Amino acid sequence: MTKHWKLKEIVLMSILGVVFGIIYLAFFLVGQGIRNVLAPFGLAPFGYEIIFGIWFIVSIIAAYIIRKPGVAFTAELIAGVTEVLLGTAAGPGLILAAAIQGLGAELAFALTRWKDYRLRILILSGIFAAIFSFTWNLFSSGNIALAPTLLVAMLVVRVISGALLAGVLGKWLSDQLAKTGVLRGYALGKELQKKREKGAA
Amino acid sequence: MISSINPTIKAFAIFIPGILLSFTFDMFTPLVYFLFILIVTFTMSDIPFLKWLKIFSPFLLVALSFAWMTILYTNQTFSYGEVLFTLFGIEITRGSMITGISLALRSLCFVCLSILFALTTNSTKFMLSLMQQCKVPPKITYGILAGYRFLPMFREELQILRQAHRIRGFSRTKGLKGRWNQFRRYSIPLLANGIRKAERVAIAMESKGFTGDTDRTHYHEMDVSVRDWLFFTLIVGVFFITVAFSYSLGYLNIFGKQF
Amino acid sequence: MKKEQLNPLLHMDHFSFDYESLDKPLLNQLNFSLMDKETTLLIGSSGSGKSSLSLCLNGLYPEAVEGVSSGNIYYRGKNIQDYQKGELSQLIGIVFQDPESQFCMITVEDELAFTLENRKIAPSEMPERISEALSVVGMDGFQKRKIHELSGGQKQKIALAAVLLLEPELLILDEPTANLDPVSRIEFIQLIKHIQAKQKLAVFIIEHQLEDWLDVVDRLLVLGKQGKIIADGSVTSIFSDHHSLLKKEGVFLPRQYSNAEDSYPTYAESPPRIKQDVLITIKQMGFHRKKHTILQDINLEIHRGEFIAIVGENGAGKSTLLQLMARLLTPQKGTIIFHDKLMDQWEEKELRKRIGYVFQNPEHQFITDTVYDELTFGMKLNGWTTAESDTAATALLKQFHLEKHKYSNPFSLSGGQKRRLSVATMLDETPDILFFDEPTFGQDAKTTDELMYMIEALRKNGTAIVFVTHDMDIVDTVDRAIVLYQQHIHYNGEPESLWKQADLLEKTRLRLPYRIRVLHKEGVSLDLVH
Repeated sequence: MTKHWKLKEIVLMSILGVVFGIIYLAFFLVGQGIRNVLAPFGLAPFGYEIIFGIWFIVSIIAAYIIRKPGVAFTAELIAGVTEVLLGTAAGPGLILAAAIQGLGAELAFALTRWKDYRLRILILSGIFAAIFSFTWNLFSSGNIALAPTLLVAMLVVRVISGALLAGVLGKWLSDQLAKTGVLRGYALGKELQKKREKGAA
Repeated sequence: MISSINPTIKAFAIFIPGILLSFTFDMFTPLVYFLFILIVTFTMSDIPFLKWLKIFSPFLLVALSFAWMTILYTNQTFSYGEVLFTLFGIEITRGSMITGISLALRSLCFVCLSILFALTTNSTKFMLSLMQQCKVPPKITYGILAGYRFLPMFREELQILRQAHRIRGFSRTKGLKGRWNQFRRYSIPLLANGIRKAERVAIAMESKGFTGDTDRTHYHEMDVSVRDWLFFTLIVGVFFITVAFSYSLGYLNIFGKQF
Repeated sequence: MKKEQLNPLLHMDHFSFDYESLDKPLLNQLNFSLMDKETTLLIGSSGSGKSSLSLCLNGLYPEAVEGVSSGNIYYRGKNIQDYQKGELSQLIGIVFQDPESQFCMITVEDELAFTLENRKIAPSEMPERISEALSVVGMDGFQKRKIHELSGGQKQKIALAAVLLLEPELLILDEPTANLDPVSRIEFIQLIKHIQAKQKLAVFIIEHQLEDWLDVVDRLLVLGKQGKIIADGSVTSIFSDHHSLLKKEGVFLPRQYSNAEDSYPTYAESPPRIKQDVLITIKQMGFHRKKHTILQDINLEIHRGEFIAIVGENGAGKSTLLQLMARLLTPQKGTIIFHDKLMDQWEEKELRKRIGYVFQNPEHQFITDTVYDELTFGMKLNGWTTAESDTAATALLKQFHLEKHKYSNPFSLSGGQKRRLSVATMLDETPDILFFDEPTFGQDAKTTDELMYMIEALRKNGTAIVFVTHDMDIVDTVDRAIVLYQQHIHYNGEPESLWKQADLLEKTRLRLPYRIRVLHKEGVSLDLVH
């Protein structure tokens, strides 16, 4: 698998992982903020769920740009390691959480044999990541101790968040980046170039 | 000193209890283990107490709020025992109280373990050790190291961006839309620059004869000695001893099941 | 110049390269040889594909960028495609332009070890080799230092040391001094000269500002805009025979070969200052970061329409002073008065209309997706109608030659276009004062010229211009030069009298402008001021 990765693709994955590792950490504070707002309405548990999708985004961005097997998984893993090295309340377990989310995200691409990168697949990838991470959190965060109705509601919110904040937002951000011309040497940039040539012809 | 323990062994030593702790729901086990990690931190490493406290204290708050939420929303499996008091019409039982406090203690254990690892480990050596002990391909190892080099650069760049946007008359806008725009305006240039640099670094590395070949010599020979295994045994062993102790005293609780 | 028998080391045979297709290739049918032990310099304007060429030579391109090529390159008579992966990279070492992005490790020693590990050198030999390479570049003892904490000049020396550890036969230098201050630049060039003399390497230098290299160079190649080699020969023959051709290509001509009308001072003629018209007054200002004092006891006045250059070595606080004057930073001590009103009493929106600031990297200023939006952004903010801002934006597009790129993404423009756009965005309302942080860094002759003409036009409208710059030839044309040294203003006055103070120049590590250097020592271009 890794033999097919170019060095520049790995460095790109790493840079994305580092940047989003930092963004992920910042979003813990955002989640806490939303929780505090929601708490008076008795909706505190949803504070993190609403934005949970953001924690899968690097999988989708990296996979959408590079388009090779294993990229979604690895980028998320690097982001997880970055978070742990910078310090997080979730502890070393976060690396495992990242790996599991990454696997979820990778699964969607694996199902299309890493050939289809249309929006629907990116959304599916976000949804799978949400389901995988939710299952893991049942144990890791002790969510299993929560009431079942609450759990179902949380799952629904997380899946929607995964679809939108990871799938849709991830695609949009990558497309914006591609427009700046810096992705010329990667799969996404090449696709854009081809489209342009077609448009011109 | 912990800083000289092989990073891979250290990572596993910290990882294993970090994961297994996730399965305990009583107060005793994480409390005892938390105290143990504290002792290890302050006797076996040279982390200054004040520095440690500065990193640790914000997480205390997070842990407390996490406990509070769990106490309010515990499900039936965990809300055993008599009702202690009622809050906003929600009955708080002894079980939910214990589960909440347990989760808080557990997350404090995680934080402590993370700090212990992060402050005693050189990230370069960690990656090199992963390459030498766990056979991570050099391409990935050095690719990741190259990416990590950009961490300090991003901070500087962010500051310049903030100034440049101010010059354009673009002040901090409030509201969701303003925040969104701000996120976009920072993330695109930051990432665009990062990607360009990624490409240049990769080229520079390859032009220095780097091929990703696993057959290479190592300036920092990372080896595993008896000392490393002793450390591993101590950290993981004490965890199991704690669990056993907790079991014999009748405290141990795994997923709501009392043993 | 050596006239011993030279053997071809590398030969290009009808070689073409492009990132996308060979219809109009970036490098077009190149035919030339590089000789053993010879120092060759390649010039060409920016965007002519100079940097791509260096990576084609060591075989990384076209594969690394999935580009396309035709023709062949031979190294010692063997086609480079027949070399093992990584083999050629060890024979040909490259030092790149950007000091920030050619390292993969954190410390100096680890970075140098990385090269040795690639060559499978035994670890026991490494410390000695590392120390040797560092002493060649004059940086032994820096082993444990973190690379990102070093200065630009030091980083380039480390990059050079890392490449020398490859023990290459051919050393390629891809604009290695473009991001360095003048003194570091001279130091680096001297170092190359020294190494070449000692190790007898073949050296291939890619540059657009070649003046300081001239006495190192045996042979000159000129890459034209069409991607073809348009001149090949000795330095003197090329500059005397192809003068007009080079000028048309936007190549920086070394001053001893350029006509009087080519050199900078033409911008200088301006109306005498009306001294009463004070724009900014700084009194007893001091600024510090944490415990580190950056500036103290700063007293300064800036007048309407004045052209000022702030100079000093890296870390002297030049950019900080600029940022303080633009209220991007607030001083802890003293006061700044702008238009008879204390700086911190100005309303942000009003202040930004009156003060413009152009950052070193134009990309930092871009906040929209198209060139047009970029230009109208400030206008919209100031409540202009769509019609008004459209008229103004169209005029700016024309003035800055960006009409063709109206709907392009600002990031996708060329270096010069980006620079023009970043200035244009500051001109929606004519500002009273415009600050520039090293605007000519890494720009070619044409872009620099364009910028200077733009500035002249602005000054005619009464806008004061303040430059932070390392380019002493620009400093030679300003009304007033301000020298920062050890947190203080060390000199504040006309550049002409600054050039007479040799002690001061030496102490503050400044170089004389070309005009004066020629007066001092006819024909000698490397008079390093220490």
